Amino acid sequence: MSAGRASPALLAAPSGLVYLLALLIPLASVLLLSLQGFDFSRGILPRYDLANYADLFTDPLFEEALGRTFRIAFVTTVICLLIGVPEAWIIRRMSSRWRGLMLLLVVGPLLVSVVVRTFGWMVLLGTNGLINGALVALGVPDAPFRMMFTEFAVILGLVHVMVPLVVLAVWASLGRLDPALPRAAESLGAGRLTIFRRVILPNIMPGVLGGALMVFCLSASAFATPAMLGGRRLKVVSSMAYNEFLNTLNWPLGAAIATLLLAAILAATLLWTRFVERRALRRLGGA
Amino acid sequence: MRPGSLVLDGLAKRYGPVVAVQGVSIEVARGEFLGLLGPSGCGKTTTLQMIAGFETPSEGRILLDGQDLASTPPAKRGIGLVFQSYALFPHMTAAENVAFGLEMRRVPKAERMRRVAEALDLVHLSHLADRFPRNMSGGQQQRVALARALVIEPQLLLLDEPLSNLDAKLREEMQVELRELQRRVGVTTILVTHDQQEAMALCDRVAVMQAGRVVQVDEPWRAYELPADSFVADFLGRSNWLPARAGGGEAEVAGRRFALPPELAGSEGEVMLTIRPERLRIGAEGAGSLPGRVHSRVFLGASWLYRVDTAIGPMMVTAQNTGAPPVEEGAPVSLSWDSHSLRRLEAA
Repeated sequence: MSAGRASPALLAAPSGLVYLLALLIPLASVLLLSLQGFDFSRGILPRYDLANYADLFTDPLFEEALGRTFRIAFVTTVICLLIGVPEAWIIRRMSSRWRGLMLLLVVGPLLVSVVVRTFGWMVLLGTNGLINGALVALGVPDAPFRMMFTEFAVILGLVHVMVPLVVLAVWASLGRLDPALPRAAESLGAGRLTIFRRVILPNIMPGVLGGALMVFCLSASAFATPAMLGGRRLKVVSSMAYNEFLNTLNWPLGAAIATLLLAAILAATLLWTRFVERRALRRLGGA
Repeated sequence: MRPGSLVLDGLAKRYGPVVAVQGVSIEVARGEFLGLLGPSGCGKTTTLQMIAGFETPSEGRILLDGQDLASTPPAKRGIGLVFQSYALFPHMTAAENVAFGLEMRRVPKAERMRRVAEALDLVHLSHLADRFPRNMSGGQQQRVALARALVIEPQLLLLDEPLSNLDAKLREEMQVELRELQRRVGVTTILVTHDQQEAMALCDRVAVMQAGRVVQVDEPWRAYELPADSFVADFLGRSNWLPARAGGGEAEVAGRRFALPPELAGSEGEVMLTIRPERLRIGAEGAGSLPGRVHSRVFLGASWLYRVDTAIGPMMVTAQNTGAPPVEEGAPVSLSWDSHSLRRLEAA
């Protein structure tokens, strides 16, 4: 090629431009905005300092929301792994006739709008909802239970939509496995559980860890599900940012909250890849 | 290690209306090396899967040392398996792979380590014990798979196309090694392959399968020399077909008469005779029984393969490479043979 060295850069330019326009510039402006001040009567103030961050670090409400956000994300991730990883393996072992149908069912929640899906949970979980109605009718003591506007409801709603991500990530890893592996293990005397634990699981770790990271990041930054199932009182970081932007109209503070959330998720991701993923994948030949 | 005898008794497998295997009855003696040989789709792999326990027979019995395996799950059969893909556990070293079967049997650690070392030594891989499969060559992975299957001291060893992923030279080396290893260990072995050369090189007996049935079970050289039918004749090496009119101890091919061997002397009327390419001699024009013209020739190193066009169609002739210049393409020649090399078969 006569274009020589310039051609790779030139070929990457269109995507680079999109990246710049759609991601880097908005991010930079959010960062810039977060340094500015705000006054209720005068709006955004033309000064740049770390006052917003200082406020947030001393705000117990923010600390509570941050803790809740990561707690919810963590529990959601663990539950999604416990359900999604075995689920993928079980579907994989089904006959091809059922496999396609089951995979479609698993992906189902992703195909439904978040608002519709969450309203469904509200109908089920409400004090006068289906579940409580059934429990009361059955004469369960202490029924009805308070389920709406709890962390339980938020986690339930998140797990519902995040499990497919784990299944799909693990599915991709399973597809790369030699289909003879389980039979080889079986012929050597391994039972079903041993085959899964000793042979399959270690080899699908890339999918498991990738799926976990995806679920964690998406859960930590989820907005609609926590906002609807958690209500006004149960704030997570993303709903706090939303509140500052649209209700209080304190954009700089909202930007600071968003920036901190981004930084926290980024840090969690880096720690995860550094300490968990690399260690787990060393046996599989480099991560 | 105590090798077992295996009896397949009227084994059949049907998938709905599709018959994969039908009426397979073979007896394998202790320590014997049997080849299940046939083209793809002949039912040889299904038969192997039934012996291993991954497929349930529709009919028939499988007896290992006189014991019916029907109700024994694969994990309890104690059969060693080597897969075409080797199916080594990618996250385990060679030694860990070999140790897996012993761990499942709860063999104490000290004994386990001793037996793993022995098994790796058996396949000459002691120096690679701590290597992962991805860092091994195909031949080395093959040996680990063998060691892993043998270390559990199976009564029966099943090999599913074990050499088909190796390149030609390595495959020949592994054939010699596999044969020698099986002799030394003495384990009863069944090899599934579509490669007739491999089956003949390795096995004490071959069972040739076609369309779900066993056509012939015999020692390789017998099956080659006295094929049961035209399918076996064609599958085990090449065959030339000579349509002839027989009578009075002689046969007439393309207007020329020649003697029939004593065992075929009683043949009368239209018959189909066959002869192997290496039993045909290529000579100067007019010298032999069947005139023809060299259509093409292929150099195989140790021999030449000629295609000679004759009045009864193209004939394949193998001639040893004696160092003399080969017959030119297009040259008129004459083919001759010894009458005892002729076989009579029903055409397929």
